[in-house]
Amino acid sequence: MIRVEDVGAVRTIRLDRSEKRNALTPRMLDEFVAAIKTSTHARVIVIEPVGPVFCAGFDLSECRDDAGALPSLLTGLAWATATMRASPAIVIAAAPGAAIAGGCAILCGCDLVISTPDSKFGYPVVKLGISPAVSAPLLSLAVGDGAARARMLSTDLIDGQAAHHLGLVHELCDTPEACAARAHELAATLIDKPSTGLAATKSWLNEVDGSLAGNTIRLALETSLSLVGGEEQNERLAEVWSQKRDSEAAKQRDREEKK
Amino acid sequence: MTTPLATLDIQAPIATLSLNRPDARNALSTPMLAELRARVDELQARPDVTVAVITGAGKAFCAGMDLKAVLDNNELAHQLLVSLADLTLAIRALPQVTLAKVNGAAIGGGCGLATVADLCVTHADSKMGFPEVDLGVCPAVVAPWLVRKIGAGRARAVLLRGGLMSGTQAQAIGIADHVVPTLAELDGFVAAMAQRLSAGGPEALRATKSLLNTIDGSLDREIVRRGAQLSASVLATPEAQQRLRAKMG
Repeated sequence: MIRVEDVGAVRTIRLDRSEKRNALTPRMLDEFVAAIKTSTHARVIVIEPVGPVFCAGFDLSECRDDAGALPSLLTGLAWATATMRASPAIVIAAAPGAAIAGGCAILCGCDLVISTPDSKFGYPVVKLGISPAVSAPLLSLAVGDGAARARMLSTDLIDGQAAHHLGLVHELCDTPEACAARAHELAATLIDKPSTGLAATKSWLNEVDGSLAGNTIRLALETSLSLVGGEEQNERLAEVWSQKRDSEAAKQRDREEKK
Repeated sequence: MTTPLATLDIQAPIATLSLNRPDARNALSTPMLAELRARVDELQARPDVTVAVITGAGKAFCAGMDLKAVLDNNELAHQLLVSLADLTLAIRALPQVTLAKVNGAAIGGGCGLATVADLCVTHADSKMGFPEVDLGVCPAVVAPWLVRKIGAGRARAVLLRGGLMSGTQAQAIGIADHVVPTLAELDGFVAAMAQRLSAGGPEALRATKSLLNTIDGSLDREIVRRGAQLSASVLATPEAQQRLRAKMG
C-alpha cells in the first residue's frame, strides 16, 4: 500500500490504494513512517498518490470489527507527521483530488504542498464523534490559529483555491499529472542546493516555529484518543455502519431484482 | 569627509532612514550596519517622530549581506551577522511606525530589513526574496521575522524554495503590504501613506506597536542571536564557501 522509489537523492513515497482513494489503514501508516525513517540518503521526499486522489483519510471500515484500529490510526498519524517534520529531508506533497482529515493532516507535516484548484480539503470528522485534534498543532502552523479553528470545528470542505489562499497549499497546478511533475521539478531544484544549508534551514524553522516543541503533538493525540470508545463516538460510528449495511443490502436487492 | 553609509533625514513627524551605499547596491557591511544602528538609536530618542520610512539610495533597496570581506574569517562573519541581528531588533523596538519603501532589489538580509519593518511597500517589478539556501547559506537571522510576518507555513515554503520573487508575488505571499504598479509611483504613494500614518495619535501608535511586539515575541533577543550563530556556522562550511566564491567571481 506504500511504494518507495529512490532516484538519486530523491525518495518518492506513493500512497498506493487507489481503489479506496488511498484511505489510510494502520498498516499503511506503519509502512509510511518506515518509508520516512529509512530515507537516510534522501535529501528530498516526494509524497504522491497512485490515482487522481491524494488521500481520503482513515479507512473507517477497518474500525468496524477492530476496537484497536482507530487508536492505531490516530497514533500512527501523529507519529507520521512528527517524523516528516523531524526528517532532515525536505518533504514535498503532490496532493491532487482530495486530502481529507488524516490526508489533510499528512499535508500539514509537509514542507511544501502542490495541489489542483478543484481539490477538496477539510476535517468532516466531528460528525462521526472523532476529534481531528491530532492534526491541530501542525495545521495551526500551516494556516494560522484562526483558520485552523475554522477548519477543525466545521465539517465543511474547502477547494484547492481556498487552501492556497490559506497557505495549506503553496502551489497550484491544473492536473494531477502536472502536480506530480511540478513536485519532482521542485525536488530537482532542491537537491541542487547545498545540503548543509538546506537541512540547517529546515531544522531552524522547526525550532523557530516550535513544530516539535514540548509535547503539543502528544497532547493533541491524547485529545483525539480520549474520545475513542466513548458513547458518542460509538453511537455515531454504529450509525455509519448501519447506513452502510442498509445501502449494501439495497444494492444487493437491486442486483437480485435485475436478475 | 567620507560619505555616510546611512543617512537620517528628519522632517518631524516623518523621518527617512536611507541605506547609502548605492555603488554596492546597499549591501550590508559591518561599517554600514554600525552606521545604520547609530541612526536607529538617534530615532529611538526622537519622540517628535511618529513614522520612519526605511529605503535604499540608488536603484536597489538592499542587495543583502556583504560577505566578501568576511568570507575567510568566521569571527568577522559572526560579527557581521550579530550586527544584522541586533539591527533588526533595534528597528523592531523603535517607538515609531516603520515603513520599508522597497525601491528595488531587497535580497536576503535586505529582504529581512523589509520584513522587520511594520509595513512594507514596493512596486510590481522589484525583486525580493531569500536566496540563501541557493548559496548554501542559512537565513537564520531573518527566519523569526518572516515567520512572524507571513506565518510559519508560508515562511517555510519561501525560505526552503529560495530564489527571488517580484513585488507582486511578494504581496501575494504577505511580505509586501502594498504594491504600486511602477517605481515612478512609489515615492508619491509612500509619502502619502507616511502622512496618513503620522496622523495617528503617537501614544496610541506606540502603545499598539509595543503590545504587538510583546505578543508576537518580537523582542526575543536570544532567538535572533542564536540565528546569527547558526548562520555563521553554516557560512563556514565548504559548500557555502565554494558557492559564494563562485558567485563573487
